[in-house]
Amino acid sequence: MAKVAYYPGCALNERSSHLDRSARDATEKLGFELDELESWTCCGAVPPVSKERIMNLIAPSRILKDVRDSGRDMLITICDFCYNTLKRTNFSIRTDDIIRKRVNAFLADDTPTRTYLEEEKSPWQEYEGEVKVVHLMEYLRDELGYAVITEKLKRSLKGLKIAPYYGCVMLRPFDEIQLDNPENPTIMEDFVRALEAEPVKYPYRTECCGSYLSVSSPDASTRLCYRILSSAMKNGADAIVVSCPLCFYNLDSRQKVVLDAYPDFKTIPVFYFTQLLSLALGVGMDRQGFERHYVDVSSALEKIGNSGERDKA
Amino acid sequence: MYKKLGLDPPDNPPIRLDRTKVRGEFGLQVDELSGQHLFACYQCGNCSSGCPLAQEMDILPSRIIRLAQLGQKEEIIQSKTIWICASCFQCTVRCPKGIDIQAVMDTLRQIALDEGVDHFGPDQIDSKHAAEVPQPGLVGVYRKLST
Repeated sequence: MAKVAYYPGCALNERSSHLDRSARDATEKLGFELDELESWTCCGAVPPVSKERIMNLIAPSRILKDVRDSGRDMLITICDFCYNTLKRTNFSIRTDDIIRKRVNAFLADDTPTRTYLEEEKSPWQEYEGEVKVVHLMEYLRDELGYAVITEKLKRSLKGLKIAPYYGCVMLRPFDEIQLDNPENPTIMEDFVRALEAEPVKYPYRTECCGSYLSVSSPDASTRLCYRILSSAMKNGADAIVVSCPLCFYNLDSRQKVVLDAYPDFKTIPVFYFTQLLSLALGVGMDRQGFERHYVDVSSALEKIGNSGERDKA
Repeated sequence: MYKKLGLDPPDNPPIRLDRTKVRGEFGLQVDELSGQHLFACYQCGNCSSGCPLAQEMDILPSRIIRLAQLGQKEEIIQSKTIWICASCFQCTVRCPKGIDIQAVMDTLRQIALDEGVDHFGPDQIDSKHAAEVPQPGLVGVYRKLST
């Protein structure tokens, strides 16, 4: 089975472990393995506030250098924050000579191979941004192909109307991320179509859910989440699909607060894209961690149930 | 009489401008730290109209840029706006002049933090909430809003 280097990040390792598990289940069914790095640290979640704070780039650079040193040239992440941080760090290293030199000066310093530096054949090699950072969804689209997913479906999601929610850092800033059109993306819609479900278009799909404001200004985040969720429902969605642990937290757990604040609000189930993928590929319901969701997902799952198991010889 | 005409005087006194402020040290500092060119902004307001958090802000993003051009450091540092910005990059992708407005906001936050204006500390979160939020939220908030 093909192996691809995989950086889970802190959220997937613990508080969003159901995202991690469903991703591993799904990729196994698709014929490749997420090969977790032997050792990794936090990537820092957000890129530094200005170019001056070079220190904040060291952790993600070290992760990327470790991948390169182990002889691999591609790294998969799932968490949008890790994806954004690693990809933007890589971009800075590739495009900015001064940043590359300063980062490498730190990296050279923290490895025990320091003594080799003076020798002629040094195993130390400057990191120049060789690793390609890809989102799992990007990997599915570009490397595997959505057609392969449709071919391997065990359970069709026909009849389910799903509203994709992109959030902020998966698509933006476009110059550095280059994943899809930041204003009119289609990567998640195409993914939903590959599972034979129907994507719902709604105006707030790329609008921010409040991100970390959920901690510092929870009321602001509540208002944003209400706008996003109710917009999706008005456009006929049965469920929302996300890829980021923080989007999931805001859109799912925050519905409790939204319910208190807005009497007309009705809850809507939220899924990780990997949960829908692994369900469609035939992984059992009990492995999805649905008990950790705040909103009961059974209303959406019943609709899948109706379309029945799909027999593929 | 002014009130009747809808011309009541502004709450804040008009700002006084001089050479030391406009294109002064503060503007240069923001330009250098953010890698942007503030005077590229021609005040179209696209960033403010697209900002999902504009309604929570006391000064709109486009006005923050204008104030920065005019060197009004104090007003910016004391505003809520720089702490409300969630770094979602909506303004950055929409700016017709290609200014990375999010980078400017980050820079303004950094300047405010360097001045000792801390916005959010570990004591301001209740432990139950902290135990639930995924880590990127916690790491993000402390890296963006505190020293």
